[in-house]
Amino acid sequence: MPGIDECLLEAMRLPGARGAALVDWTSGLALGAVGESPGGDQEAAAAEAAELARLAAEQHAFTADGGTEEEGADPPVEDLILSNRDSYHVLRFVRTSFDSSVFLHLWLARTEGNLALARIRLGEMAGRLVLG
Amino acid sequence: MTTVRTTTPAPPPRLPVRDKAAALDRGWGGVSPMLTRLAAERATGILVRERGTLHLADGQVVHAESPSAPGLDTLLTPHGGDPAPGALELCHLTALYDAAYFTLAPSSTPGRFRYGSAVGLDGPLALGAVRPVPVAALERETLRRRDLLHRIWPDPTTDEAPLTRPDRVGAPPCPARRRAVLARVDGVRTALDIARELGRPAFHTLVDVRRLAAAGVVSPRPPTPAEAPPPPPQPLLETEVVDPHITLLKRLRDALEAL
Repeated sequence: MPGIDECLLEAMRLPGARGAALVDWTSGLALGAVGESPGGDQEAAAAEAAELARLAAEQHAFTADGGTEEEGADPPVEDLILSNRDSYHVLRFVRTSFDSSVFLHLWLARTEGNLALARIRLGEMAGRLVLG
Repeated sequence: MTTVRTTTPAPPPRLPVRDKAAALDRGWGGVSPMLTRLAAERATGILVRERGTLHLADGQVVHAESPSAPGLDTLLTPHGGDPAPGALELCHLTALYDAAYFTLAPSSTPGRFRYGSAVGLDGPLALGAVRPVPVAALERETLRRRDLLHRIWPDPTTDEAPLTRPDRVGAPPCPARRRAVLARVDGVRTALDIARELGRPAFHTLVDVRRLAAAGVVSPRPPTPAEAPPPPPQPLLETEVVDPHITLLKRLRDALEAL
């Protein structure tokens, strides 16, 4: 029955993991963070990732067909993947049974990271975090 | 021939200003000097401010409550059964930062601190302990949140006023979460009312309302006649004076006006 930090520490065991955070995309607050922070500033990284997540979550074009047109617990987007020359960022939206707007942000070194594995594991962790 | 002195007097010395850069380096921006002092002395107890309370343990914040923010119970309301520890921690931290945002709002009265135990174990913490939040982090976050709201829409009126939709025609489409807020705008409810109904943090609802205000979809309701400030008292002349000369003058004025 993991709490936030246990969940983030588990994410850090993924190969190539450099940093992990649980971020609220409405406020931009990091509710938890472990490891390094992209850009070196945890609060700035959380606010910037939140802005990206919010844009993805709020655009109609990215919503699944027959998806969450009305308010519900399902986030409209499952995950976001961003790559650059040396790293991957995976943003996994967390589904909760109460109203929330949070996502897991995993930062992976590109050379060691396994994107497919990270996506699967993050999905599992997101489920365990809130459903026990 | 007169000469005009052109030398201007030396400008007065500049007033001292708070060094905000240095304050930020210290990790706080002067949100509450009293709270900063309590953190430094690792105090335990309850700080009561105008808009809410902060519970401190060893100088860190472990709980916050504000009449302006829905409590943990409201945030968890739609949840059936026992929430998982992660979900509970998430909600508790969210509620703490939410209540602290309003508690740390600028106030007109000084805060009071009651030394002693923070929240009891039979209190809200019985639901699940929250990781203590350092005061500096809470103050930084509070300032960041103020800035976030200001950048979205600089007018704070919608934060507390009853909200209304001035023009329902031609409203731009908005995402589902914001549509849920918009659907509850009825000229009576405030942002806080809507937050409670949706089981959302108050700050999050302020964000959505400011975005709606920026889009021109929502505005604060103008005061209704019943709530409008009472009209200024009638001049004495009209009501109480019965001096016959004045009565005559008034009749004369009325007659002239009637011409």
